[in-house]
Amino acid sequence: MWRTVIRGVLATFLASAPALAQTGSISGRVVAAEGGAPVVGAQVTVVGTNIGTVSRDDGRYSLTLQAGRYTVVASRIGFARDTVPGVVVNPAATTTLNITLRSAPTALAGVVVVGYGTQQAKDLTGSVATVTTEEFNTGRVVSPEGLIRGKVAGVEVSDNNEPGGGVSIRVRGGTSVNASNEPLYVVDGVPIDIGGGSVGGDGSTGLGRNRNPLNFLNPNDIESITVLKDASSTAIYGNRGANGVVIITTRSGGSGPQVSYTGTVSGSRVVGGPNMLNAAQYRAAVQQFAPSNVASLGTASTDWLGAIERNAGGQEHNLDFSGHGETNVYRLGLGYLDQNGVLIGSRTQRASASLNYSDRLLGDRLALRTHIRGSRSLDWYTPGSVLGEALAFAPTQPMYTAPGTYYQYRDPTSGALIGLAPNNPLEDLAYVQDQATILRSVGNVEGEYRLPFISGLTATVRGGYDVNRADRNVFTPTNIASQLKGDSATRGSIARANHDELHTVGDVYANYRNVLPRLTNSTLDLTAGVSGENFNGTYNGYSANGLSSNLLGLNGVPSFTEAHPGVSVVDHVLRSQFGRANLNLFDRYLITATVRRDGSSRFGEGQKYGTFPSAAFAWRLLEEPMLRDRLPLSDLKFRLSWGRNGNEAIPCNYCAYGAYDVGGPNAQAQLGNVFVTTIRPVAFDANLHWETTTSTNVGFDIGILRDRFTGSVDYYTKTTHDLLFNVPTAAGTALSNNVLTNIGSVRNRGVELMVDGKLIDGGARGFTWNVNLNASHNNNELLTIGRPGVTSIQTGLIAGGVGTTIQVLQPGQPVNSFYVYQHKSVNGAPVTTGADTAMYIDQNGDGIINTSDLVPFHSPAPTWIFGHTSNVTWRGWDASTTIRAYRGNYVYNNVASNLGNYSVLTSPFAPVNLSASVLQYGFTRPQYLSDLYVEDASFVRMDNLTVGYTFDRLAQLSNARIFGTIQNVFTSTKYSGVDPTANINGIDNNVYPRSRTFVGGLSVGF
Amino acid sequence: MYIKSTRWLALGATALCLAGLACTKDLTVQPQSQITSGNIFNDPASYQAFLAKLYAGLAVTGQTGPAGTPDINGIDEGFSQYVRGYWQMQELPTDEAIIGWGDTGLPELNTQTWSASNPFTTAMYARIFYQVALANEFLRQTTDAQLSSRGTSADVATQVAGFRAEARFLRALSYYHAVDFFGNVPIVDESFDISKLPVQAKRADVFAFVESELKAIRGSLPPTSTGNYYGRASQAAVDMTLAHLYLNAKVWAGTDRNADALASASSVIASAVTLDPNFPHIFDADNNTSPEMIFSVPFDGVHTRTYGGTTYLIHASVGDNMDPAAAGIDGGWYGLRLRPEAVDRYTGYPTTTDTRTSFIQTSGRTKAIGSIGSSNNGYALLKYKNVTSGGAVGSNLTFPDTDYPLYRLADAYLIYAEAVLRGGGGSRATALGYVNALRNRASAGAITDAQLTLPFILDERGRELLWEGMRRQDLIRFGTFSSAGVWSWKGNVAAGTTTAAFHDLYPIPSNELSANPTLTQNPGY
Repeated sequence: MWRTVIRGVLATFLASAPALAQTGSISGRVVAAEGGAPVVGAQVTVVGTNIGTVSRDDGRYSLTLQAGRYTVVASRIGFARDTVPGVVVNPAATTTLNITLRSAPTALAGVVVVGYGTQQAKDLTGSVATVTTEEFNTGRVVSPEGLIRGKVAGVEVSDNNEPGGGVSIRVRGGTSVNASNEPLYVVDGVPIDIGGGSVGGDGSTGLGRNRNPLNFLNPNDIESITVLKDASSTAIYGNRGANGVVIITTRSGGSGPQVSYTGTVSGSRVVGGPNMLNAAQYRAAVQQFAPSNVASLGTASTDWLGAIERNAGGQEHNLDFSGHGETNVYRLGLGYLDQNGVLIGSRTQRASASLNYSDRLLGDRLALRTHIRGSRSLDWYTPGSVLGEALAFAPTQPMYTAPGTYYQYRDPTSGALIGLAPNNPLEDLAYVQDQATILRSVGNVEGEYRLPFISGLTATVRGGYDVNRADRNVFTPTNIASQLKGDSATRGSIARANHDELHTVGDVYANYRNVLPRLTNSTLDLTAGVSGENFNGTYNGYSANGLSSNLLGLNGVPSFTEAHPGVSVVDHVLRSQFGRANLNLFDRYLITATVRRDGSSRFGEGQKYGTFPSAAFAWRLLEEPMLRDRLPLSDLKFRLSWGRNGNEAIPCNYCAYGAYDVGGPNAQAQLGNVFVTTIRPVAFDANLHWETTTSTNVGFDIGILRDRFTGSVDYYTKTTHDLLFNVPTAAGTALSNNVLTNIGSVRNRGVELMVDGKLIDGGARGFTWNVNLNASHNNNELLTIGRPGVTSIQTGLIAGGVGTTIQVLQPGQPVNSFYVYQHKSVNGAPVTTGADTAMYIDQNGDGIINTSDLVPFHSPAPTWIFGHTSNVTWRGWDASTTIRAYRGNYVYNNVASNLGNYSVLTSPFAPVNLSASVLQYGFTRPQYLSDLYVEDASFVRMDNLTVGYTFDRLAQLSNARIFGTIQNVFTSTKYSGVDPTANINGIDNNVYPRSRTFVGGLSVGF
Repeated sequence: MYIKSTRWLALGATALCLAGLACTKDLTVQPQSQITSGNIFNDPASYQAFLAKLYAGLAVTGQTGPAGTPDINGIDEGFSQYVRGYWQMQELPTDEAIIGWGDTGLPELNTQTWSASNPFTTAMYARIFYQVALANEFLRQTTDAQLSSRGTSADVATQVAGFRAEARFLRALSYYHAVDFFGNVPIVDESFDISKLPVQAKRADVFAFVESELKAIRGSLPPTSTGNYYGRASQAAVDMTLAHLYLNAKVWAGTDRNADALASASSVIASAVTLDPNFPHIFDADNNTSPEMIFSVPFDGVHTRTYGGTTYLIHASVGDNMDPAAAGIDGGWYGLRLRPEAVDRYTGYPTTTDTRTSFIQTSGRTKAIGSIGSSNNGYALLKYKNVTSGGAVGSNLTFPDTDYPLYRLADAYLIYAEAVLRGGGGSRATALGYVNALRNRASAGAITDAQLTLPFILDERGRELLWEGMRRQDLIRFGTFSSAGVWSWKGNVAAGTTTAAFHDLYPIPSNELSANPTLTQNPGY
C-alpha cells in the first residue's frame, strides 16, 4: 500500500498538468435561507472524493475536479447541512451551483482556524478547541479571555477582579518559571506579544503590567476563539508556542446590509471580603493584649473596607453595520464601554472601532482582506495603598475628626503624625490621582492569490501592525498625611510615563492543496513560508518630587526639588521560516508534519536560532470498511502527536548582551570632595538560549447518535528543558551573585475530557438542552533546577517581614510550592502557642527552628479543573449557565498572616487592626511561615447565569432579544480570604474585592 | 513550464529577501539605552566612573539609589547593603546589640542560630564577592595592553595606575572581611580564568593573600584619606587593615603577629590623623570633617542614598519615646537596642561620668530584654545622628549625610595597647597613655598601669567602639563569642547560654556550595 501512497504523492506533482485537460469546475455562492446573506466559511465538499473548499467572505466558492457526476455537501456551524445530488461537471466547463443553508443553532464542528490557514475539524490531528460566539460567556466581559472561561478543558483563566485588570491564562499548566507562561495570542493573523521583555520594556515603570493587554479588543467583535493546545498544533508558531496559542478571529460580516445594536447596563456589588476584627472585637483585643494602648483606642465604629467600596454601575453599547457588495463583504463595529469598579476610584472606559473588509479581485484570483481596529481606553486606578490601609486602620477610629478633616494616627503627646502608621485611606482616595490613557490599533492587510498554471497553489502575503501608545499619570499632592510624614523638601510628586510601542509583522507563505490522483479520497496540503517581526519600544518617563504647588495637579510641573527622568529604547527582532504538510490518505489516515525555524535577537551569539519540528497522526477508525457500520458511533478518531516548541518570552531583551549600566544621581560615590556617577558592568550569560518544550499528546474523538453527543479524551505530557533560572554563580566568577541561565526542567502531565451533547432536542422551537462538560487534570513537577546539589530556590515575596518568601522551587515538587513550618498537633489540633520549638516540627532535629526546617506544602495550581455549560431554549426563551470548579489549588492568606497576631496591637507606632484569624490561632507574634495560612482554595462557582427572550416579530425589526445575566452567582469554598482565584501566584495580599454583577440588556437588528 | 516555475521561485526569493524576511540575517540588536562593552572606554572618564562603582559598592545597593537595578539579588535590596550586612554580622550575635524585627533569617543573627541558607549571611558573602569580581574586571580592563590598544594618553594611563592600586585595596578589604566571617574562601584575582570553578583556599592562605596585596600597593597610595582622597584608599587605611589582620593572626592564620600589629598601628598613629576632641562629632552628619577619621564609607542625603548604611543605623536605632528630630530623621524604625550587658560595661551606669553613655536612651524602656520583639525592651543607643556637630539637620531627613567610620584613630590606640599586652613589643607606658587619652576624652577617669590588662582592653573596646562593627571579631579573639561567654538571648534563651564553637565562623552559603561543588562547608554546618 505504501508504495501506492508514495506514487500517489509524487503523481500529484507530476500529473497535475495533464489532469487539467479533463477537469471542470463547480462554483457558486452559499447563502443563508433567512435573508439571503452570504454564508462565509461554509464547507463545501464532494461526496466520494476528498475534494472540498470553504466559502469565502462573499459566500462564493469554487471547486476543480474531474468531469463526472457528483453529490455536493455544504455545511457550516450554525446551519443545517445541505446535500445536493446529481451535480454534473463537464470537461473545461464551470457548473454553477448556488446553495442555500437553513439556520440551525447547533455547535457542529466545522472549519477550524489553525496557524497560517484553516482546517476541517474532522481532519485535525492535534488537540484544538474552538469556542464560537454562541458559546461565549455573556454579561459584562471587558476583555476576550473572559469569553472562554470554563469552556475549554485544560485552560485556566484567572483575572484579578478589577474591571480591565490583568488576566492570566495557563494552557495545560505552566511550562516556565522565569519566562512567560502566557499563551501566544494571534488576532486575525497578527501575533500579539504580551509576555517577555517587550511589554513595559527593560526597567520601565511597569505601565500596563497589571492591565490586560487584550483590553483593546472589544469582545463583541469576536467571532471565535481557538485554543491550540498540543505541540503539533502550536509548532507552526514554534517560537512562542510552548504555552499554547490562542487564535482570535473577528467577525467579518457578510449578511445584510444589516444594522444591529446591543446595549447593556450593569450593577456590581462586593461579595465577601477579608475577615477583619470589628470594632467591638478589636476593642476587646486591645484591652486584653495591649492595655497601654487603650487610651488611644478611639470610640468610633468604622467599617473601613465598606468606606472604600461602592456599588458600581456600568454600561456598554455596540453598534454593528455589515453588508456585502458584488464581490466584497464588510463589517464596521463600534463599541463603547464604561465600567466602574467596586473600589472607589477604579474605572475603565473604552471606545473601540473595528473594520473588516474583504474583496475578490482579478477575476476571483485575488482575495484581499483587511482588518483594522483601534481603541482608546481610559483607566482610573484606586491609589495603590488604599486597600492595605483600609485593612490595617483600627475600626475604633473615626473617618473624620471634623467635616473634611481626615483622622490620622498621631503621637498623643506631640500631636505629630506617626511615620510608620497607616494613612487614612479616604484621604488618599480623595486626593491622589492615578490614570492612564491607552491608544492602540492593530490591523493587517492580507492578499491571497490563486496562482495560475498550478491548480491548488495559492500565495499569501500579509502585513500587520500593532501600535500602542500608553500614558500613565500619577499625582500626589504635598499636603496629605503620606507626604507630610516625609522630608519636607520632597513632598508631593507627579509622575508621567509615556510608552510607545510598534510591532510590525510580515508573512509570506504559499499553500498547495490538491487531491492525490490514483488514490481515492486522498489529499495533500502543503504550506511553506517566512515570517518576520520587528518590535520597537520607547519608554519615556519622569517623576518630580518636592512640588511647590498643588494647583496644577496632573497637568503641569510647578517648581520642584528633585526630578527623575528616564528614557529606554528597546528593539527586538524575530525571523522565521516554516513549513507544514498535511496528508490525508483515503480519508482514514491523517498525517501532519511541521517544522519551524526561528531566530530571536534576545539570545546569545550562535544561540539565536532554534528549530522546532512536530509530527502527528490521526486515524479515523470509522472510515475503515470493517468498522464503518458495525459500531454504534458516528465518529471515532484516534490522535497521536509529538512536537517541540520554544519560549522566547524571557524577562529581558538584552539578557545575553554585555553592557554597562550608568548609575543615577542618587547612587553616586564620593571620591574626595566630589560625587562621581558610576558605571557598572552587567552580569550576563552570552549563551542564553531557548527554553524548549517537548510534548506528546494521545487522544480520541468520539461521536454517537449522529454526533448528537461528541466527546474527546486527551492525555499529554510536556517536558520543558533549558529552563531559565537565576542561578547562583560561583563566587568571583560573575558580575552578580545570580545570573539568568538555561538550566533546569519542568514537566506537566495531564488528562483532559470534553463532552458536548444535545441532551434534549425538541426541534426548532421546542425544548432543547445542550450541555458541555469538561474536566482536566494537570500534574506539574519541577524536575531539576540546576546543577546537582542545588536543592531549592526560595521565591514568592509576601507582605510582612521584608524579604520574606513563602514559596519554593524544589525538584520533585510543583513549581512555586508553598514552603512552610509544619505545626505540631495535639489531638488533631495544631499547637499555636509557645516557643517556635514547641509549635513547629524540628525537621532536621537540631533543636532549633530555622530555615532548614521549612518543608514544601501544596501549590497554587489546581490539580483538577471542571467546567460545565448548559444552554436551554424553548420557544423564544433561552437560558444558559457556566459553572466552574477547581480542586487542589491552595492559597496563602497573606492578609491573615500579616495582621494575624496580637503583637500588632502593641506596636507603639501604629495600633492597627487584626485579621479575624487571630481569634482562631491566638498568635502573639508574627508566624508568617506557618502552614495554617496555606489554605485549601478548592471551589465551585457559578460564573454566569443568563436568561433571554427573543421576539418572533416585533415591529420592523429583523430580530430583537432582551436578556439578563448574573455573573458570579455563587462561590462555594472553604477558603477564608477574599477570593480563591484572584491571584495566579497563590498569594492573597490585598486583592481587589470580588463582586457580583447584574447585567440587563437588549439587542435589536434592523 | 519548469523554467517558468524556476523563474517565479527566483523572483519570489528575491522579493522576500528585499522584504527582509527570508534571508537569514544577523539578529544582533545592540542595547541602545545602555552603553556597550565595545565603546565604554572610548571615554577616558569611564575609568574613574568604574572606580567610583567599586567604592559605591560599599555604600549603595544598585544603580538607581536608594533602591532599583540592584547589584545582587535574592534578598531585599536594602538588606543587602554592604555596611548594613557587615555591621549586623559583627554586632547582632554579640553582647552589644539586638534587633526586634522578624524578617526571615534576622532573628537567627540575634541568637547565633543561623543556618547555611541564612539570607543575611548569604547576602554578605555575595556582597564581598561582588566587590572582588568588580575589582577583578576593573583590573582586567585596565592592563597596560588594554590601555595601549585603546590609545590611552600618558596622563590617563598614570591616573589609571593609581586607580588600580585603589581597586586592589578594595578587593583586599573585602577579602579581609571574608577571612573574618567565612574563613576558607576561594581566592579569585584578575588572572583567574572565570570559566573555571575557583578553588577553595585555607583561611591562612587567604590571610596571606590580603597581607601581600596590601603590602604591594601601600607605596602607590597617599598617606591619609583626606582632601581629594576622602573616602578613598590610603596608607593609613592599608595600615589599619593590616593591624586588624595581624591582631587576629592567631585565630585566622595560626600564628601570633602582634609585633606586626603594633608596627601597623604605630604607623597609623604617626600619620596626620588626630583624636577628635569632640567625640560625638565622629558620628554626626558632618563627620567627614572629623580629624579622627582614618577610612570611612561616605553617605549623602542627595548623592549617595541607600536603605542600608547609616540610613539603617540611625532609623533602626530610633523607636519608642524618642524624638526622630533629635536624630535628624523623619521617623524611627523601632529595631535596634542595646543588650543589657553593653550598658553594664559602663560601671555604675547611670551614675557615671563617662560621657560615652550620653548616647543611651532609657525613657519608657526597660534595660532587660524580656521579649526581643518588643521595641521598648532594651535601652536604645543614639550614637549615629543625621545632625551636624553644629546642630544643623542633614540634607535629607530619610537619607542621612552621616558617613560610616570603618576605621578611626581610637581603634589604632587600642590595638597598640592590646598588641603590647599580647607581647608584641612596644611600650607599656605609651599603651597606657593611649588608653587614658581615650578615657580622659570621655571623662571616664584615667586608669593605672595595674589596671591595664587584656580583659580591660576587651571591655574598653566595648565602651569606646560600641556599635562600631568590631565586637564579634574582638570576642572571638578573646575566645568568648561562642563556647564561652553568656549574655541575654545568646543561644535563643532569655538568660543566655553558650553555643557550639563552630559559630566562630559563618557558614559558606548553601547557594555557593551548589554553584561551586568543589568547596567544603565550614565545620559544624
